[in-house]
Amino acid sequence: MTALAVDGTARVGGFELAVAFEAAPGEVVAVLGPNGAGKSTLLRVVAGLLGVHAGVVRLGEQVLDDPARGRFVAPQQRRVGVVFQDHRLFPHLRVLDNVAFGLRARGISSRESRAVARSWLTRLGLTDLAERRPAQLSGGQAQRVALARALASGPNALLLDEPLAALDVQTRAEVQGELREHLRAFAGPTVLVTHDPIEALLLSHRIVVLERGHVVQTGSPAQITTRPLTPYVARLVGMNLYIGAAEGDSVRIDGGGTIVAADAPTGRVLAAVRPSAITVHTEAPHGSSARNIWPVTITSLAPLGDRIRVNTSGELAATVDVTAAAVADLELTPGRPVWLSAKATDVSAYPAP
Amino acid sequence: MTATRRRGGLGTPALVVPFGAVGLLFLLLPTAALLIRTPWGSLGAIYRDEHVWTALRISLTSSLEATAASLLFGVPLAWMLARMQVPGIGVARAVVTIPLVLPPVIGGVALFNGLGLRGILGGPIHTVLGRDLPFSFPGIVLAQIFVAMPFVVITVEGAFRIADRGVEEAAATLGASRSRIFLTVTLPLVFPAIVAGAMLCWARALGEFGATLLFGGNVTGSTQTLPTLVLSVFQRDPAQAPALALPLMAVAVLVLLALRDKWLRPVAS
Repeated sequence: MTALAVDGTARVGGFELAVAFEAAPGEVVAVLGPNGAGKSTLLRVVAGLLGVHAGVVRLGEQVLDDPARGRFVAPQQRRVGVVFQDHRLFPHLRVLDNVAFGLRARGISSRESRAVARSWLTRLGLTDLAERRPAQLSGGQAQRVALARALASGPNALLLDEPLAALDVQTRAEVQGELREHLRAFAGPTVLVTHDPIEALLLSHRIVVLERGHVVQTGSPAQITTRPLTPYVARLVGMNLYIGAAEGDSVRIDGGGTIVAADAPTGRVLAAVRPSAITVHTEAPHGSSARNIWPVTITSLAPLGDRIRVNTSGELAATVDVTAAAVADLELTPGRPVWLSAKATDVSAYPAP
Repeated sequence: MTATRRRGGLGTPALVVPFGAVGLLFLLLPTAALLIRTPWGSLGAIYRDEHVWTALRISLTSSLEATAASLLFGVPLAWMLARMQVPGIGVARAVVTIPLVLPPVIGGVALFNGLGLRGILGGPIHTVLGRDLPFSFPGIVLAQIFVAMPFVVITVEGAFRIADRGVEEAAATLGASRSRIFLTVTLPLVFPAIVAGAMLCWARALGEFGATLLFGGNVTGSTQTLPTLVLSVFQRDPAQAPALALPLMAVAVLVLLALRDKWLRPVAS
């Protein structure tokens, strides 16, 4: 079948994107990264809206872009469906004709194109909107129409640019579930670029983390959340991450301090601790089973769902999640020195890249 | 913040009002005079004159043909100016503005030297058409295209420039060829600008005088348009001239109404 393979560099202005990754047929790969990481550039490269400077882009057997061999397939001939972040629906066409556009462009008769478009509208639950203009659609509806338009053209691969970013919180929740189903139903490779880890975790099989134009980590959602490889990924998935050198079961952290981990490999390691696995004490705990006990100073407190997120500074600064009751009982306030503790079994240590 | 918003600080400066009012009156008075001095009583007699109707018909047909030709060539030219990144495109844009800043009568002289009997292309034109362009109906159409097409080009160029390229990219990913994107996506997006450009172009072509007079002559029944007829009437019987201005003023009002969304609102609202 048609796997998507990108291995090359692309340049926009002074920015360089250098990536290598693949997406298998039926696989949803999320490209996760901060703004300016090169996500949109990557998407444009696959869609054919931007050529690679060097390297190869391949879809199945077909080479889409290979400057060394002077090969470049125009976006029109790629059969790569794109759902743009701003939807980019044709404002002068009805929803039905928006969805039929790709079929019409490929020379299919107006009647047949509309019939196929109608069936896609039905499949995505948009039948009632067929006669509307894009300006009369809500964000969520426009997003679904954009997906229907991309799918109706019969693409061999699907690209989505921040599909949920433009939607309000309420609509996101609605669209998320059904989008997941539609993406699972698509037979070709799907690449979804996003800066939102939740979007990546919920919609994809595999996550490629992009930072400053380079892939810094690739893995399943579970691997990314439990073993982040960079401070950016750690922050995204809400983990405390420390880098240092392991000696036995203790890890000497680069900035100072030591953390004991249950199963530390030797050499350069990363140590990750969940904010909810850390306990706050107002005085140095005695007789505790926790192997890690260290002093910090509280810098700020912020509500996070039903918890309070406590940020601290010190030799081993950490983010800790506690209950609102704990904040009240312990009288936790910014500037207050406290002690933190964590079990060695709650520290996950793994080789640094 | 609130203090600077008080009217005393940022209200209308006393200085601007008298000058502005004089400016407005100056623009209004001659136009009003036209209506006041129109010989309403003898309007019937003036408009029974067959020359008037002939001139009106020639004006309408020539200006509509000129507008059609300006759209046919002007819209693609606007696209080129807006989107093509080749050396010399800035010069091309300057060429388009020449007829706007050139006195129309000089445009007539220019047309004579370019397309006239002894003009640079006069010989080839005579060979191909078997006739000459000056003092002919096609001649006045050409004169009107020369002065009016820039209005189409400039209005539509701006629209092509700001038209959302994103939807064009979307169309490309859906398999639409370059021409298909132009015809089915880009043109519909700039359609309001095309209408506005066509209205301005038509109004300009209908009112065209200088180049038409020189290149077309003022031949009753073949190249005499309403504006050039006004000249003849004004020389013979000035009191009748305001009556002939009525159709031209009606067009001006019509264009203004059609473009009111574009022009009667402040630019940065």
